[in-house]
Amino acid sequence: MSRARWVLIGGVVAVLAVGCAGLDVSNVLQGGMKLVQSADTFRGATADIDEPEEVELGRAVTALIGSRYPLLRNEALTRYVALVGNAVALRSDRPDMRYYFGVLDTEDLNALAAPGGYIFITRGVLGLMRDEAMLAGVLGHEVGHISLHHHAKSIKAEKRKAALKTGTEVGMTFTRASVLTPAVGLTIDGLGELALKGFSREEEGESDGVGFKYAAAAGYDPAGLRDFLQTLKDRGGKEAAVSSFMSTHPGAEERLREQDALVAKNTTPGRRNAERFQRALARIQKR
Amino acid sequence: MRKATLVMVTALVATAASLMAAETTRWVERTKVDVRAGRGSYYEIVDTVLKGEQVEIVETEGGWVSVRTARAKTGWVFAAALSAKPVQPGGGSDFFKVAPGDASTSRTAASQGAKGLYAQDYAKAKGYDYTVVEWIEGHQPNGQVVEAFLKDTAEGSR
Repeated sequence: MSRARWVLIGGVVAVLAVGCAGLDVSNVLQGGMKLVQSADTFRGATADIDEPEEVELGRAVTALIGSRYPLLRNEALTRYVALVGNAVALRSDRPDMRYYFGVLDTEDLNALAAPGGYIFITRGVLGLMRDEAMLAGVLGHEVGHISLHHHAKSIKAEKRKAALKTGTEVGMTFTRASVLTPAVGLTIDGLGELALKGFSREEEGESDGVGFKYAAAAGYDPAGLRDFLQTLKDRGGKEAAVSSFMSTHPGAEERLREQDALVAKNTTPGRRNAERFQRALARIQKR
Repeated sequence: MRKATLVMVTALVATAASLMAAETTRWVERTKVDVRAGRGSYYEIVDTVLKGEQVEIVETEGGWVSVRTARAKTGWVFAAALSAKPVQPGGGSDFFKVAPGDASTSRTAASQGAKGLYAQDYAKAKGYDYTVVEWIEGHQPNGQVVEAFLKDTAEGSR
């Protein structure tokens, strides 16, 4: 039994002692039980999310993302994106996580990571790329969100906030219940928004850094992510989709500068695989 | 004298065997770990081990460990998922914990999670199309295809 629980039980016993002096014992007992439940709530709110839970949340968020954008059910293209993604993920800090890659059938520019290894890239983003190194860089960035546990950190922060705000009820729901409960449903909705709109500037920067590292370790030219960001910058203002992407991903200029610095320091040459990328992309155009 | 020597030799052999076993024994440190046919998360699952379960090391390579499970299955897990010291079963979040401490129930609950039952219910309640999840999970390359791609990449595909 944890020290916190002993302290709380000690408190309940002390209150009961007061109860014996003339207060309603049943009310005091209920109050004591609430205190113990609160301890569970706060312990749950600070507990880490384990992998099976993360995967299950990822499935739910994937279903949510699928409701916003149609999934491109092109087997060959999906397999190609997944192959590049797995090559990068194998070099990540969570290589034992099962990663699933999908293409969203929209001209919108986005690449996103749901919890549990589910990663998406839009047809619009693929259309802006010139080679596999760019794809590896962008997928490396998304793998970074998962390998750095960015979703789990957000969930933990949300659980803590909910436990502090409403005490036992919502906190207990977060820690004990299935995803069907409204509170956890809110978490999934929140995670979906997070995946669609991006993480904090700091987390995006962290993912850029490890994305660069994973792509390089997988044998790609790690300048791929920098080149993609540069392409976005060059086209900014000319296309509505690019402007929209830049507006929902603040700090693009800073990210570009950081990638420039990493590229300048890198001395290991890597592959671009432009031909293989163009062959795979032709599968979209042939639809 | 002869009896004393025999006892001593037996004790030495037992101690050596125990030390050797300790060197090759590991305990699962995470709630649920899939044991796979190869060194990569894209290989098929040959067994699933739960927190606290004991496994025997067969070999190690590049951060991955080949293990033999209690069910006599051999496959690869990531080294970080194992501990050199005994680990208490259970723990983790309460998400799949139907009966705490009951490994078989936890295994069932974990596999229910693996089938996406909770997410399916969520999607149904929200009116989302769950076939999106099923399609993505069903259209990923297997271990052999990924290995061939990695080899092609290493050999300098253009």
